[in-house]
Amino acid sequence: MKFRLALAAFAALAAAVVLFGNDYALTFTIQLFVFVVLAYAWNIIGGYTGYSHFGQMSFFGIGAYVGVLLMLHLKWHWLGAALAAGGAGLALAVPLGWIMLRLKGPFFAISLFGLTRVFEAVSFEWDALTGGGTGLYLPPINDQRMLYLALALLCLGMLMLTYWIDNSRFGLQLQAIRDDEGAAEALGIRTTRLKVTAFSLSAVPAAACGALFAAHLAFIDPPTAFAPVMEVTTIAMVLLGGLGTILGPAIGAVTFAVLNELLWSRFPDLYYGLVGLVVIACVLFMPRGIVSLLVRSRLIAPGRGAFRRIAARSGRAP
Amino acid sequence: MTQPLLHVEDAVKRFGGRTALDGAHCSVATGSITGMIGPNGSGKSTLFNCIAGAEALDSGAVYLRGARIDRLAPHAICERGVARTFQLTRLFRDMTVLENLVAVAHTFSDRQAVERAIHAMELLEIPELMHRPAGDLSYGQRKLVEIGRTLMLEPKLMLLDEPFAGINPRLQNRIVGYLQKLRGEGMTLFIIDHEMRIILDVCDSVWVLAEGRIVMNGPPQAVRSDPRVIEAYF
Amino acid sequence: MKTLLELLLNGILLGGVYALMACGLNLIFGVMRVINFAHGEFLTIGALATYSLCVTFKLPFWMALLVVPAVMAVLGYAMQVTLIARVINAPMIMSLLLTYALSTVLVNIGLYIYGGGFKGIPGLLTGSVQVMGVGLSEARLVAFGVALGVSLAVFAFLKKSLFGKAIRAVSQEPEIASISGISVERVRNATFALGAAMAGLAGVLIAPIYAADPQMGSRFLIKVFAVVVIGGMGSYGGAIAGALLLGVVEVLGGYAFGQMAGSAVVYLVMIAVLLVRPRGLFGVGVRA
Repeated sequence: MKFRLALAAFAALAAAVVLFGNDYALTFTIQLFVFVVLAYAWNIIGGYTGYSHFGQMSFFGIGAYVGVLLMLHLKWHWLGAALAAGGAGLALAVPLGWIMLRLKGPFFAISLFGLTRVFEAVSFEWDALTGGGTGLYLPPINDQRMLYLALALLCLGMLMLTYWIDNSRFGLQLQAIRDDEGAAEALGIRTTRLKVTAFSLSAVPAAACGALFAAHLAFIDPPTAFAPVMEVTTIAMVLLGGLGTILGPAIGAVTFAVLNELLWSRFPDLYYGLVGLVVIACVLFMPRGIVSLLVRSRLIAPGRGAFRRIAARSGRAP
Repeated sequence: MTQPLLHVEDAVKRFGGRTALDGAHCSVATGSITGMIGPNGSGKSTLFNCIAGAEALDSGAVYLRGARIDRLAPHAICERGVARTFQLTRLFRDMTVLENLVAVAHTFSDRQAVERAIHAMELLEIPELMHRPAGDLSYGQRKLVEIGRTLMLEPKLMLLDEPFAGINPRLQNRIVGYLQKLRGEGMTLFIIDHEMRIILDVCDSVWVLAEGRIVMNGPPQAVRSDPRVIEAYF
Repeated sequence: MKTLLELLLNGILLGGVYALMACGLNLIFGVMRVINFAHGEFLTIGALATYSLCVTFKLPFWMALLVVPAVMAVLGYAMQVTLIARVINAPMIMSLLLTYALSTVLVNIGLYIYGGGFKGIPGLLTGSVQVMGVGLSEARLVAFGVALGVSLAVFAFLKKSLFGKAIRAVSQEPEIASISGISVERVRNATFALGAAMAGLAGVLIAPIYAADPQMGSRFLIKVFAVVVIGGMGSYGGAIAGALLLGVVEVLGGYAFGQMAGSAVVYLVMIAVLLVRPRGLFGVGVRA
């Protein structure tokens, strides 16, 4: 019930921005949506499955370049380009996940972090394709409301996907991997297949989102495509909201985006350092996330309700 | 002689310079409760890990109903009907007991999985733990939930790694009762433990392992009086 | 033939500095199970501090060699006590995110103080030495000698000394170590300080070779990460072997495919190693 209420509230807010907001509100919300999508995507592999993914910007950046190249050279519409970027994300995620997800916690984190920096270096270097450090420019999209709508739908899709994961055995099995991968494997859970699936589910929206973001900016260059600060911000958003929860990524992204906007407008020189300090503060003081506070004060129900409800309906529950 | 459900042949496993299994063999008859005893460090847990696929044998073979399973991934061995518990329990600690059970049931619908989980919890007389997080349970409760989790897989063969260690005698007796009930329903059980008293009480056939080799095998009364067993232990 | 030899020698020389970084990273990981994403910035601080000492204050290079690692040890100790110690027992993502954010903060401070440009140190160790008919720059030779010497000295120290035993005890069995009267906390603090000092020293050593800039840390760190993954996390000897190997791979790759591609080749090698041996060449098992 509450979940439907949240959906309705989101739809109303999203519509309000289009109907009543100015350009500034539209731009702010588009960038917020990009972070919401990234946070939800990261939450699937990082929150539910427990794999510390420090390479999400690889998918975002490659999606951005695929999208821009299609729009620039083949004159594709941004929507088609974003779908193709999602496809490219999938094509990269499956083999990469199959190799990298054999690595446990810290190995996985540093390998993907390094890979992202390599992609960045390659996009700097390969200027025949990517324009190198100068970047690639697109004709700007004057009316961004359709782009806004597409991102809003993507956010909604991610929210529903996460709701499904939270209430399905697929999600329970991901969390089993997070808690004890060896035991999960011994008990017949196909860990490799599940991990690659979770990794891909997080890669596809990130890549599509990269293309949409590039279309919004009408520009892409390596530091924008593979921005380390976006990586760390996304992860911190999920942590601040609540790892492995349905509403955590959205709550974290909104809180963080507002804070970011304030910092950016007041201290442009120190912006990155201040973002870092905010992240440190989140880790030290809010490691369990805002959602856990809300659950404890009974404002929202704890997650994974589906099995509890089925058990209650079976009539044999205590 | 009928084909055993599980048969291990010449199992050898080394860790660096240490030989944990030195040509151990054993077999488990269908429908039996088979036990394996041996002093600490005799290789019991290693043998279990090799049967379940968590460790690879250096040489030797494991057969399940005559088919080799020792090169399979753990989940594949599990799908062939072998489910295990862990010596130091390894529950999914951030999930409730119900979720621990439901998570591993992969052949049923959600509703069937939940019903099966409730059935398992009732059999083990722990339905009141259903919504408790596994991380909050006592050691004895965790042992019971581990058995419940293997029940979700409807195994043909249940491997129990020290189910009686570190729990009070009342709970030990309760577990003995559950295991006998499961055997009555047609399940085969293979138990390792160093609680010799219980193993000898509950098992049909007992293997004695020492220093990576089988010292003897026989019915409990034969093991009880065998001088080689006493030598292995003292 | 001569080019190949030159490339190999230069690669090995480069590997010495990677070894110094990788060993510090590995020590910290061994004792705390914490990956330090800010390790690259420790190197940056070392290099920029060397620039300040030698160019701004006109002090001799050997002063930097002594002073900078000592200051880095103090700085590392302070970071350990105020930040890292608080997330050691938390899930791994916490320490990763914390050190990653710390690295962002340090880069920003560096940019604020030094600006974005490259800071070279003119006229320092500019000579070259003929080895087997190949000219090798003095700066690189000094860097290699000091880096490998210190790495091996630390290695020997850890093998022989009581502190080394304590480090190994804490790495392998923290509970048992604490029961046997070792102060786990002090060992951790000292190890982080030592790791920071080693990274700072690496920074001093590369300052005469490459021009320093506030963002250089992550460029080095990704290679050091690859070294650690290839050599095996937690294995000190593996880190040194992996570092020398990667130095060679990078120089050869850079020669064959261009400078930037050199680091991509390093990563391809890493992925290839991982496909065959997920724990690295000499790695110990790691439970996440």
